Amino acid sequence: MFDFAGAWQALIHHPLFGVGVTLGAYQLAVAAYEKTRWFFLQPVLVSMLAVIGVLVACGLSYDEYKQSATALTIFLGPATVALAVPLFLNLKRIRQLFWPTLLTLLIGGVVATGMGVLLAWWFGADHMMLMSMAPKSVTSPIAMLVADQIGGIAALAAVFVLITGVIGAILGPELLRRIGVHHPAAQGLALGMTAHAVGTSRALQEGEECGAFAALAMSLMGVCTAVALPLVVALFT
Amino acid sequence: MLLRGLTWLVVFQLLGTALNVLFLHLLPGPIIGLVLLLGYLIWQGEVNEPISVASSSLLRYLPLLLVPAAVGVMVYAKAIAADFWAVGGSLVLSVLLSMLFAGWMMQKLIDRQQRKREKADV
Repeated sequence: MFDFAGAWQALIHHPLFGVGVTLGAYQLAVAAYEKTRWFFLQPVLVSMLAVIGVLVACGLSYDEYKQSATALTIFLGPATVALAVPLFLNLKRIRQLFWPTLLTLLIGGVVATGMGVLLAWWFGADHMMLMSMAPKSVTSPIAMLVADQIGGIAALAAVFVLITGVIGAILGPELLRRIGVHHPAAQGLALGMTAHAVGTSRALQEGEECGAFAALAMSLMGVCTAVALPLVVALFT
Repeated sequence: MLLRGLTWLVVFQLLGTALNVLFLHLLPGPIIGLVLLLGYLIWQGEVNEPISVASSSLLRYLPLLLVPAAVGVMVYAKAIAADFWAVGGSLVLSVLLSMLFAGWMMQKLIDRQQRKREKADV
């Protein structure tokens, strides 16, 4: 007779299984997002849940999945390097508002990072959680790298980054208008700095200038966090 | 084009990794690579075609590349549940407060810069 059980085992333990599941889940998630345009249907979040579902259903461990998904994760490094390109293109655009942008980024960035950690510490989260939360305002590849460097957990950082981005993008523009922030550059900067990629895509819907400043703020905030946060943590611990 | 650009990106990342081990243990290799590439672009004054093609293709699929790492959260479900309210509450509060602060500050600075310019014009 046919060995169905054996074939099934060979299939789910094949090194390409993790890659296949991830690719499939991601495309479904992107399709769902494009169809509905709901902010909380972030492709990374939805594909994460789908992949976890498949792994649990097949009884596979995360370690085995991680091993087989290396084919994808190996490109995270070059992708991080590639962030220099949008950063460079944006740098050329801000000549006019150079000082306001720089000052807001520096002070606002410290406030965004410091407040998250301080609040979580005050609410009683443990050290590992705090270190995973610290880079929450920056785009996930940088946040995950930084969290890993400072004693947090990359996966947790990814989730915190996502939650931060989604909340900021949903509530941000309305609240900003209410307190009288009406300049598109100011709105974009605030969105990109605190809600990274999700905030930037929201800012792009608000307008071109808003989107450009969001992209700029996101990349500058990312680089500054990547450079400064490990140093600060190393000095204080 | 794509392959040539990709090679550049890999070279910068590897350079970053080498520097990370040699001098800068605090900064991750890819971040050093990013800063190096940025310096190179500023020096060149423009983004050449291969690097532009490779970086936009890679960045388009960035969310996909992040999925495997995000799945790692399944290992930490217990830790998250334990600190759920502390983490959730501080995330929501801090993103809203810091976003409003940044927006407000930028708005004030822009207003001030405009007032100064107007004065200079008069």
